[in-house]
Amino acid sequence: MIAPKDPLGQFGVTVGYLNERAVLTVHGEVDRLNAPELGSILDAVIEHHRSVVLNLAESEFMNGWGLGVVAARASRLRRSGGTLTICSPSAMVLRMLDITGVAELVLVEYPDPLCHRLGAEQPIKTDGAPVGTKPPVLARRITAFPADTDVVDGTLRLVVALARVTVGGADGVSVSLRRHGRLATVAASDQTISDMDASQYATGEGPCVDASLDGRWFHAESLNTETRWPAFTPRAQALGINAILSSPLLAEDRPVGALNIYSRTAMAFAPEDQELASVFAAEASLVLTGAGVDVTDGQLSNRRNEVLETRRLIAQAEGVIMEREGVEADAAFSMLCDSSRRSNRPFRERAEDVVASTKRSQLDPELGQRHSHYG
Amino acid sequence: MAEISATGRPVDMLDQYRRGAGLSHSDLWLRYFELGGMSNALELEAILFGALEPSPHDREVIAQALNERFVELGGNHPVPYCEGDAVGRLDKNGQT
Repeated sequence: MIAPKDPLGQFGVTVGYLNERAVLTVHGEVDRLNAPELGSILDAVIEHHRSVVLNLAESEFMNGWGLGVVAARASRLRRSGGTLTICSPSAMVLRMLDITGVAELVLVEYPDPLCHRLGAEQPIKTDGAPVGTKPPVLARRITAFPADTDVVDGTLRLVVALARVTVGGADGVSVSLRRHGRLATVAASDQTISDMDASQYATGEGPCVDASLDGRWFHAESLNTETRWPAFTPRAQALGINAILSSPLLAEDRPVGALNIYSRTAMAFAPEDQELASVFAAEASLVLTGAGVDVTDGQLSNRRNEVLETRRLIAQAEGVIMEREGVEADAAFSMLCDSSRRSNRPFRERAEDVVASTKRSQLDPELGQRHSHYG
Repeated sequence: MAEISATGRPVDMLDQYRRGAGLSHSDLWLRYFELGGMSNALELEAILFGALEPSPHDREVIAQALNERFVELGGNHPVPYCEGDAVGRLDKNGQT
């Protein structure tokens, strides 16, 4: 079976068979125009074969559309107990497979250099590694992913598109990220899904909010019986949503957002779909970690230093108050609390005032007064 | 809403405040530690869920850590500082 190459000779698919394996060799670039054609050919082959090889030795480029087509078929094959093997992907395709998590759905292999004609001769052989083992260089690639917001957002949009086509039961997918202290949707498959996220931010509850804050996985199997989010659930049902799966996104092991998958059907997410969702979330987390989102080493280190410095300052201020007022440490803390509340100034600033007052002859009169509640 | 524990205290009221403040458990622990709190992150989580009874001092430090966050968000100290204080109820802006 051969798909005709286009007039420019840039795209075509050759199909060959070896034992039980169907081998599709792709020629030229896979993009929005020809991805559906590749999908149709894959569909036809998958009808009759459980083991399918996609040889990309002669295809340097595959964009998100092509990747979506491949991911959807890989997912379907996996469900039916089959495997999709991607052979000889270019560095660019390999990187896309890896950063989007699609590499988890497929086997990646490199043939013996002497064997070029897949499907006609000895086909696939890894260079000593077990079949499907990813080269160790992949992890380094991920962590070297550039820290550019546009690139990260673009990758997350790709993850959303891929999760949409590969996770069974998914009617919509989004990614929420905490930016400047607030959750925001950075990628959504459509407006309804974006509205779903917004409803959660507005009510301050929902699986997306909880997964983003707690760094845990939240699965609402059926909103008809859901009781955890009383304000949000009716809003979701009004938009026709009946099941939600939110997986946390972590950067440096700290929760920074969530991958949210919505379905109109209750009980839509089978165990393998939940597993797929966690694969995509884990890969997106690696991208976020690699990009230093929200919690780069420098930021964390600065924050730790700041915390320790404030703690030391507060201990000093308590010591001053204890000495001056003849009270215990807990009471000194209560006085600082009270002062902070009444003056509507941050606790740290009040502590600084107290420490600074040791250089003056008299204590801030406000701090000298003990509030009756704590007295 | 919160169930009532054997002590008659709302079991997870503090954790609801944490959610209202938009803080993760680790964020809150860092703020609590910054103010001089002595419990570790796991103990703090247990306190928030009502599984561990905080000392009055710990309760006050947690309330202060949460209130500082609410003030940053434009609220006004909605979290009561000790058991005897009137229990505030949060609206969506963190106000009582």
